[in-house]
Amino acid sequence: MDTFTKTYTDLDRAIDEVRSLSDNWPAACRNGEIDDETLHCTCLVLHEWIANLHQHAQFQSVSPAIQIHVTCQEAHVACSVLDNSDGFDLESYLPDEDDDPEAFPERGMGLRIIRTCTDELSYTSTDEGLHCFEFIIPSDHDPWLNTLF
Amino acid sequence: MSFSAETASSETVIIHVGEALDFRNADEFKSTFQEHVDEGIRKFILDFSDTEVLDSTGLGSIFSLYRAVSPDDGKVAFADVSEPVQVVVQLTRTYKVFRQFPSVEAAREAFAE
Repeated sequence: MDTFTKTYTDLDRAIDEVRSLSDNWPAACRNGEIDDETLHCTCLVLHEWIANLHQHAQFQSVSPAIQIHVTCQEAHVACSVLDNSDGFDLESYLPDEDDDPEAFPERGMGLRIIRTCTDELSYTSTDEGLHCFEFIIPSDHDPWLNTLF
Repeated sequence: MSFSAETASSETVIIHVGEALDFRNADEFKSTFQEHVDEGIRKFILDFSDTEVLDSTGLGSIFSLYRAVSPDDGKVAFADVSEPVQVVVQLTRTYKVFRQFPSVEAAREAFAE
């Protein structure tokens, strides 16, 4: 098992660096145990989640701070994003898989993409008063959305 | 970040997407294509050769372009699609709507036929 952890206080910078996260992947990823598509999906989900925090999260009087944690194992990538926002009820915002979305939607695809790419998705409060988004992307995952068109 | 647009013919414009099309510059992308839509352009080639990020909002802005030109039988093609963009294309199955070409030149030739 191999891990990668990085903390950011600037969400714009976090988003910019997530795109090049693959340069710093743990050894298990770099050694080809996890395929490129899984890595790109991981970057996309991290981007969508941090973008979501950037645009919608409430941080009250504190400056935003997040910690990204990535673990590569033989069959999957496991990630968490710890944040100091007020949090929200993810389940109430996640679209149902059976939902029939608008054709060619301009907004609202982010959480749908996150749900489709990931397994074991959760966003929970921690004992320290923070919030933690966690997900797993199996290397044999074959995600696709068939409901946009 | 502004988007570079290049006139390929009287009917076709190439937009070089650059490093990223995401929630932070999607409005600028829309302003870029709208200027050409207002001039009567209905064929667009999107050059993704340097693109490391296409997020859901960026894709939404491309849908916006498609909605603007499709009533007039317009076309939007993806050219030189990078790996991160290809993941989004496959995930959302946008290849059903936007024809892909290996290069801008190949798209330009196809549009000229």
